[in-house]
Amino acid sequence: MSREPFFRRKTAISYKTEEKTVMRGYDLSELAEEGYSFCDALFVLYQGRIPPEAEEKMLKYEMGVFLEHSMSPSAVAAIGVSAGRPNLPCAIAAAVSTFGGVHGPGAAHGYMLNKYLERAQREGKTVDEMAKILVDEYMDAETPVMGMGQPQHIDSDPRAEPIHVKQEELKLEGVYLEFQRAVEKYFHARRKQEGRSKVGVNVVGSGNTALMEIGFSPNAGWCLGSVCRGYSCAAHALFNMKKGRAWGASRNEPMVQMIDLSMIKYVGPEDRVVPKQAERQEYARKQKEEGEYKKWAI
Amino acid sequence: MGDLNETKKARGVGNLDSPKMPFDYFQREYGTVPRDTQRAPFQWVSEVAYKNVHRIVSRGYDTTELMEEGYGIVDVLFVDYQARIPLVEEEQMLNYVLIMALEDGLSAPAAMSRIVARTKTFLTQAAAASILAFGHAFGAYSAFGNRLEKYVKRAEKQGLSTAQAAELLVKENLNDEALGVSNLMLKDPAAKRMFARAEKLGVAGKYIAFTKEIVTAAQKQSPAPVDLDMLGAIGATMMDLGFSAEATWAILAVTRALSVGAHYIEETERNGYTRLGEALTPKEDYDGPPDRPVPPLKDRATFAQSGICRTPAEWVRVRDERKKLIGSGHGIVEEIHDPSKKSGITKVGKL
Repeated sequence: MSREPFFRRKTAISYKTEEKTVMRGYDLSELAEEGYSFCDALFVLYQGRIPPEAEEKMLKYEMGVFLEHSMSPSAVAAIGVSAGRPNLPCAIAAAVSTFGGVHGPGAAHGYMLNKYLERAQREGKTVDEMAKILVDEYMDAETPVMGMGQPQHIDSDPRAEPIHVKQEELKLEGVYLEFQRAVEKYFHARRKQEGRSKVGVNVVGSGNTALMEIGFSPNAGWCLGSVCRGYSCAAHALFNMKKGRAWGASRNEPMVQMIDLSMIKYVGPEDRVVPKQAERQEYARKQKEEGEYKKWAI
Repeated sequence: MGDLNETKKARGVGNLDSPKMPFDYFQREYGTVPRDTQRAPFQWVSEVAYKNVHRIVSRGYDTTELMEEGYGIVDVLFVDYQARIPLVEEEQMLNYVLIMALEDGLSAPAAMSRIVARTKTFLTQAAAASILAFGHAFGAYSAFGNRLEKYVKRAEKQGLSTAQAAELLVKENLNDEALGVSNLMLKDPAAKRMFARAEKLGVAGKYIAFTKEIVTAAQKQSPAPVDLDMLGAIGATMMDLGFSAEATWAILAVTRALSVGAHYIEETERNGYTRLGEALTPKEDYDGPPDRPVPPLKDRATFAQSGICRTPAEWVRVRDERKKLIGSGHGIVEEIHDPSKKSGITKVGKL
């Protein structure tokens, strides 16, 4: 059995010998034997340090509350992929891949906070002043303010405010929470001024603020959140693999299935004749000239 | 749509009017299928969790309330997968397992993450790619766990002792990647420590006991020194904690993905991105057919080789030839089946 590495890289994260696996200088086995938690280990991994108890509690809370979210794009992706009965990791990978610019955009939120905090420092503005600038710039540009609003929890995300409160209870208020709270204040004020409904902070807005506050980079925070969701998406995929029908289209089920033919609504061009190759050039030229196809082009 | 079909029938469309067709293609209707009003409308059905505007509820527990009551991510894994709050000792044990599974140096998932990172993607793509690296050799928790289940059942059915079942399992699977016993941890005590911790916490059960018997049997049957490895230690411990083989597979793959984010970040920070066409493959690494001239297209008939085999004997001979071309795929035989059937659960009730 070859124990050669897949490829050689200089790395500051870990090394592994026949005797032990060492992460950021700590023998993993010793970390576990000493009674540190999994969340402690995540601090060691991403930040190279053992966290104070309160920070560990914050991470435990944030990841715990984020783990399960019932039917979100991530769970739907996992269930959709599992319908074809590939190996389970494919469904989980699909779920994690759904985290992008809209669904759980943790890194985007983090980078937004960092950019404006740096600007506040550079321009000699207070955190509060810079929060107003951020909100105005985003809303003037009709760009969604990261961390605000959730399409399902329209009456305030059940996880979001409690995370803020937990962060305060644990006395972990720092510049990020101050900034985020100020962003929320000006966001609400501006929407009110414009006669628009109130849109609450979402779990990225509060959870990612907490993660950044306890020292995680935007991408590290994003990884913790989006990958942790993979745990629950795997459970949803497993439920469907073990107790549901493959394909999701059986007509023998008492309930219409996910991709039953009747679930398809078509709103594209009318049914039409396929041109013969001999007719092709003339047909194609006319089609191009008429330009009706443009309304369907995506 | 009758007119359209008539038009098409009159024009003819390729072979669609062939008498070999078991149907009249031009009698087939156009249009989507009407909504089925006889059955219940589609809904996302779940035993795991639901949410409404105000709450997220997993297995009956409001997840925000769980956190407020002091539970954490590790507890939620028990809730999501087993619909129960774990004992304190079980939570401690799972914490221990997750720490041990978090980092593994530059193994396959980290390599996947780093390769994807080099192409300039979102972190989430790299993390997802790493999960795909959990197959039936690396991170083979499904294969390992289902095998334990299979031989435990076989022992019950055939009246074998645990030791006898272990002997049989090893005899039939000694060199399998998913045995859980190998030469990988001869110098590293971490795997055996995990069992010791499970025993100390009082969470060790029949799977750890059976795996220990497997280790003993393997040490007797193997010509080379072997011992419990991390696959065996983690797999058996997780099953004693009540997780199914598949749940174990999923949880451990995701746990590793939590650390490959760091590898994505480091790869980007240290090495940057790779453009299309940038990476070279040195000729000294190539052992395929030697360089040869491309024949003129007009001479195709002279040079072209048919792939058609007219008789089974010819097919056997050609296939053996084809196996010699590494990368053609003819040298691999595998069975693509429904992985959910591996668990022995085919369908538990209709939804």
